[in-house]
Amino acid sequence: MIVARTVQLLGFRLRQEVLEWSGSWWFLLTLVVQAVVAPLNGLFVWSAVYPDDPAIGRYYVAIILVTLMTESFEQHTFSERIYDGTISHELLRPQPVVIGVLGTNLAIRAWLTALGAPVVLLAGFSLSAGFGWWPVLLSLPSVALAAVLVFLWTFLLSMAAFWTDRVHAVVGFGSQLIFLLGGTAAPIGLLPDPWRGLAGASPFWGMNGLPAEIAAGDPYDGSIAAAWGYQLFWVVVFVVAVWAVWRAGVRRYTAVGS
Amino acid sequence: MIGVEVDELTMSYRVPVRDGGLRAALGSLVRREYRAVQALDEVSFRIEPGEVVGFIGPNGAGKTTTMKILSGILHPSSGRVRVLANVPWQRRSGFLKRIAFVRGSQPVGGSQELTVMDSLEYQRLLYDVPRAAFGRALTTLEELLRLGPLLDRQLRALSLGERMRVGLAMALIYQPEVLFLDEPTIGLDVTAATLMREFVSDYVAQTGATVLLTSHYMADVASLCPRLILIDHGRVEYDGPLAELSARLSPYKLIRIAARGDGDAVVHELGEVVESSDGLWVLRVPRDEVARTTSQLLTALEVLDLAVEEPPLEKVIDRAYREGLR
Repeated sequence: MIVARTVQLLGFRLRQEVLEWSGSWWFLLTLVVQAVVAPLNGLFVWSAVYPDDPAIGRYYVAIILVTLMTESFEQHTFSERIYDGTISHELLRPQPVVIGVLGTNLAIRAWLTALGAPVVLLAGFSLSAGFGWWPVLLSLPSVALAAVLVFLWTFLLSMAAFWTDRVHAVVGFGSQLIFLLGGTAAPIGLLPDPWRGLAGASPFWGMNGLPAEIAAGDPYDGSIAAAWGYQLFWVVVFVVAVWAVWRAGVRRYTAVGS
Repeated sequence: MIGVEVDELTMSYRVPVRDGGLRAALGSLVRREYRAVQALDEVSFRIEPGEVVGFIGPNGAGKTTTMKILSGILHPSSGRVRVLANVPWQRRSGFLKRIAFVRGSQPVGGSQELTVMDSLEYQRLLYDVPRAAFGRALTTLEELLRLGPLLDRQLRALSLGERMRVGLAMALIYQPEVLFLDEPTIGLDVTAATLMREFVSDYVAQTGATVLLTSHYMADVASLCPRLILIDHGRVEYDGPLAELSARLSPYKLIRIAARGDGDAVVHELGEVVESSDGLWVLRVPRDEVARTTSQLLTALEVLDLAVEEPPLEKVIDRAYREGLR
């Protein structure tokens, strides 16, 4: 019953937000450019280092797609509403506030994926990156878990807006961790020790690199169950953290006069 | 069950402050300074179900903060609050479905690309309103708020008055039992403001809803609220009937008189003339001398018209804001 209602409310909210963002396609295009620049950099650098390794091209094409499908901007869509007080509208509604945040997140991702698809196809064709159906299918749950992880991580950091007006710096730092340890700056297998071990244990690899490695069919050599288990572990950790920080943050919320 | 119950409600918070100039701005990067603000100081009052209460005070008095606490948006620093027997800031779904908080400054939240009808449909879904009840409420609201021509318009394309009408419709489509109205007529023209007042009055008469209303327009307060709570510097300064406040703050009444011939000398002899023009005078006389003065005027002059009036509420309230009640 609760699940059905949540899905219904989320569906309605998603429809609203897709419509809302449809008027800003030019802005969404700039977000697409911003999202693909870092993976393209990695692609150019590592293709130059390993010109004969087709796995590098496949990996980075997958990274571009995973990045587009998991981008999160809660520091803009949620934190700004704390700053200007319009979060009050959400607090008055008889539904969890996260439904609205999630609806916006999914709508933006849907638009980014749709608008960024030509970039992915172009990169794939130009590099002759051939993907196998089976690895791609196997990667789908991992991509979904990556999307959940990135959302939870960004949402968690965005709630810093309850305490500080420098939320963009906080979330920016978090994004850099994803870039460095998540497999975009370099596939984590190419990182020197102890960075390789650190990245592999951190939640960031599960946000970008792991699903891309599974889709590319290489170099991930562990079991799929272990990969999903590792991602699920971090999902649980972040859900608990988000819940605790939300409870503390909403108590602190004081948008006086707004 | 008491509609709204507030006991010793206190709210304080810190706001960041810094001096002007680049040096202070750079300094604030490493060392931030804060100032404590006491928004509410042991505020207490009760509102019975079905009561309509005006909640007035100068800017920054604590009106909106109180309303935000009562509607569950803010957590107070201390004090006991119950609205329909619920603790508002626990924000239970069942409680939120029974209240509405409408702000004149932000009457409509959510997606601005949606049409009014889509937004109302979303409210239906959100507040679990059965389709039949939704249809009935919509018909009533369409009529009372003249919503018909707005239903297929996008929210972003509405004028301020239209947004306020839609905001009220969205808040009332689920028939809340307690209404918090924060400056509902702000920025509206005379016609729209009158429509709003009539609508709130009709809604209360039909549903028996409890209403707490803030407004800087005394016409709103005078026409809707038999009881006033006056708040200043976060403290309740007055809680009682509007007429009593008027009598307490202004020990005078106004006698408006129109007379034939030259009555200037007589009128000036009987009271303080505050206005005069071509056979019309307005006299300010102490309340306990109104009957005697009226009688003398009727005897001494060939009176065409005479009316005894309370002083304008704006002036009474202005005096309360500036001089206080103590």
